Amino acid sequence: MSEDISDRIRALNDIYGMFYSISDTDIGKHAFHFSAKDNLATKDHPTTAGSRILSGYRPPFDAAPVESLRRAGGALLGKTSMDEFGFGTFSVNSAFEVPRNPYDIERSCGGSSGGAACAASLISGHLALGVSTGGSISCPAAFCGVYGFTPTYGRVSRHGLLDYGNSLDKVGMLSADCSLIGEMFPLIAGDDPRDPTSCGHPEMRDMDMPTRVGVPRDSVEELPAGLRQTFDSALEVLKEELGMEVETLEMPMFRYAQPAYYIIATSEASTNLARYGGMRYGARGESLDSHFDRYFTDVRSEYLGAEAKRRVLLGTFTRMVGLRDRYYIKALQVRHGVISEYKRAYQKVDAIITPTMPFTAPRFNEVAGMSALEIYLADHLTIPPNLAGMPHLSMPCGYVEGMPVGMQMVGDHWEESMLLKAGEAWERVFERQDPEAMV
Amino acid sequence: MKIGLEIHVQLPTRSKMFCPCPTDAGTPNSAICPTCLGMPGARPSLNRAALEMGLRLAKLFQCQVPERTWFSRKTYFYPDLAKHFQVTQYENPVGEHGLFDFRGKPIRIRRVHLEEDPGRIRRVGRPGEEMSLVDYNRSGIPLVEIVTEPDLSNPAEARQFLSDMLTEIRHTIGLTDDGEQSVRVDCNISVGEERVEVKNVTGLKNMERALKFELVRQTKMLRSKKPVLRETRRFDEERKVTLPARKKEFEEDYGYIGEPDLGVYNIRAMADALDEVETPLNRAKRLCDQYGIAEGTSRQLVNTSMDLCDLFEEMATASDPKTALFLVTDVISSYWARLSDDLDLGTRGKMIDTASRYGKGEINDIEARSILRGLIAPDDSVGTEKGEGTQALDDAIEAVLSSNPGIFDDYVKNERAANRLIGEVIGRTRGAYSSKEIVDRVKERLQRGP
Repeated sequence: MSEDISDRIRALNDIYGMFYSISDTDIGKHAFHFSAKDNLATKDHPTTAGSRILSGYRPPFDAAPVESLRRAGGALLGKTSMDEFGFGTFSVNSAFEVPRNPYDIERSCGGSSGGAACAASLISGHLALGVSTGGSISCPAAFCGVYGFTPTYGRVSRHGLLDYGNSLDKVGMLSADCSLIGEMFPLIAGDDPRDPTSCGHPEMRDMDMPTRVGVPRDSVEELPAGLRQTFDSALEVLKEELGMEVETLEMPMFRYAQPAYYIIATSEASTNLARYGGMRYGARGESLDSHFDRYFTDVRSEYLGAEAKRRVLLGTFTRMVGLRDRYYIKALQVRHGVISEYKRAYQKVDAIITPTMPFTAPRFNEVAGMSALEIYLADHLTIPPNLAGMPHLSMPCGYVEGMPVGMQMVGDHWEESMLLKAGEAWERVFERQDPEAMV
Repeated sequence: MKIGLEIHVQLPTRSKMFCPCPTDAGTPNSAICPTCLGMPGARPSLNRAALEMGLRLAKLFQCQVPERTWFSRKTYFYPDLAKHFQVTQYENPVGEHGLFDFRGKPIRIRRVHLEEDPGRIRRVGRPGEEMSLVDYNRSGIPLVEIVTEPDLSNPAEARQFLSDMLTEIRHTIGLTDDGEQSVRVDCNISVGEERVEVKNVTGLKNMERALKFELVRQTKMLRSKKPVLRETRRFDEERKVTLPARKKEFEEDYGYIGEPDLGVYNIRAMADALDEVETPLNRAKRLCDQYGIAEGTSRQLVNTSMDLCDLFEEMATASDPKTALFLVTDVISSYWARLSDDLDLGTRGKMIDTASRYGKGEINDIEARSILRGLIAPDDSVGTEKGEGTQALDDAIEAVLSSNPGIFDDYVKNERAANRLIGEVIGRTRGAYSSKEIVDRVKERLQRGP
């Protein structure tokens, strides 16, 4: 049987490109199988985070969430494709495989955990570890029609996660089956002294699903008609079948979330990527004879992709002397403002709900025509909860012209269980349509 | 002239600042882990002992300790810097706006902050085939940086100040003498308007030399109406001169941001809970006031050892300060270095008893000396005869000479070359001979020639 699964996965991968590397292990003997986004360190697989600058790098340790799932009896199927270091919305910024949408291979899976969402959509009973900095779980989950769960910042250890923005990065889970996430998530949650930001938080407590949810007015304006209709029908189901009250909220701070996010994320990213200079791991320069400045410059010019360079430049700019207060420090203040706005809203409602993305999965040729700014703006619904470190769950809620639509529910810090309960209730009333795999 | 110092001292913790690697490894790259190598995905966790030592020093220098502190990333590319950023403190360091009472002159302390050391680059290979190797054993070793305001006014004063400060630091955080040798200083010095920074000077002596060199250099330039440039220089230890540093090395924009992998630490309460310990210089002051002894003597006592001060105070209580001081400085202090480690309670009691009897006049000074000598150095107690007693001294001199064969030539050119020899002999004989004995003997030996 294991042979069958492996063969099937290789065949799927030939078409969909969701894996960067696939295990040879006999997965039949294991309790369950899972995949890890390629920015999670693994001892037995190369770990590149989608970058040529790490080609051939094999870490000496497993990332904490991988280690936990293995300890619980899980078999690692492979490492999933992604945008380089998580820098992207469509997974096209990978130096390697670009994953293809399970519902239409001419379209993007979303990103940056595109390979993870693709695997979750096409492999039944699969659990994919993803990572979100600004929406990298929600977005591909929505485009690939699966559940994508992003916990509170600090709930899951980041030990072994290749950093994008350390104050924003969160390890989460994607699956076609929300109850599988509910069952497995506690395995990776909790204190880990190897990541001090994971320690000393409130325990996961058992909660009921929300009874009152709020929709920020701005989030549904300017949506394409089909998408708006799908989202509105989903809200009806929440009211009629799950008995939730839905109200409209004003959340004006959200419009500042995006610039603040890109400043903080790129500032941190530009320092995180500084270590990649071809000295101790990954790609190497051709000659060690040049001055070290030249050597680092050559290696980085050669092996970092265009989007990685763009974000390093942006982030270096925003923390420069003279600009730092205007950008970096200001962005930190905006983050506090966004958190406060959420906290105010949670005095009235239990959760906030929006569509996940303002459109369905675009075709690759459409993506190629988008400017960097247009792409950044596409994240405007996923960025606020990520900037504020709020847990969120993207759920499939309908289809427009055969392509999945996602809705995203955001809870207060540490209220993961409420969201997972809502997801499990939702999957009882919503009929998910599996993609027709071409294998 | 104005001098301000930035003083870097290694904190004597057992493990590194952000990982469990030991701090005392010898073999290159033997105390390393994914964290101090900056491997992708490895992250720091703060060594509490390092934070505590930082706070002790902040309190020592009467700094304002903020409610909360955090760490920052200082980003620059250098092959010995594993992550290409150094974790240091920028805003809200552990201490700011402090003061050091330097023999009655207040020297303002601008800030005290913690940071990690980078690795070390070693040049190896034959001339023409040299290459650089990196040893990451030092990567992540905790350092404290103490920044003064430009309140010092000449090189000798700066050296004395730093020496006093190190006495206090050593006692406060348990620093060994080795740690003192490796102190690194960045000196800011301005004779006229413009400030010159001399980076990375190691040790007290080099610091004074670098400052003197700058004093002369800047004075000459001003006298001949040449502008002194605002610049960064380095000190060449071999040639004893300062030279302009490569611009690029020190004039980067470090783009500080908060270190997001470490939290914000509430340190005020932690600092308040640290017990206050009397520092050597404060004790010297108290000994002057309380026992009426001379300032030089009290400094000598605390510099020899705080244990010796304890003994002095116990003896003074059992007899009187004058008696205690006589016995401590006359007999005991010269044996102290080899005595202090294994002075048992019984012997200590007898010493105090002797002081008490001498103080009451039950025994005279010759008897008291003889009893004390019998207690602390039974082997060579009864009257050290010349000839036999100086054998160890001669042996030490010969041993030092054999490892410094060139010293005879140096001595002919400049008599001060003897000082190097004297210093080493004092170190070897560990207080068994008075310095006058050693100086006379060394000079006599040098004059005889090889």
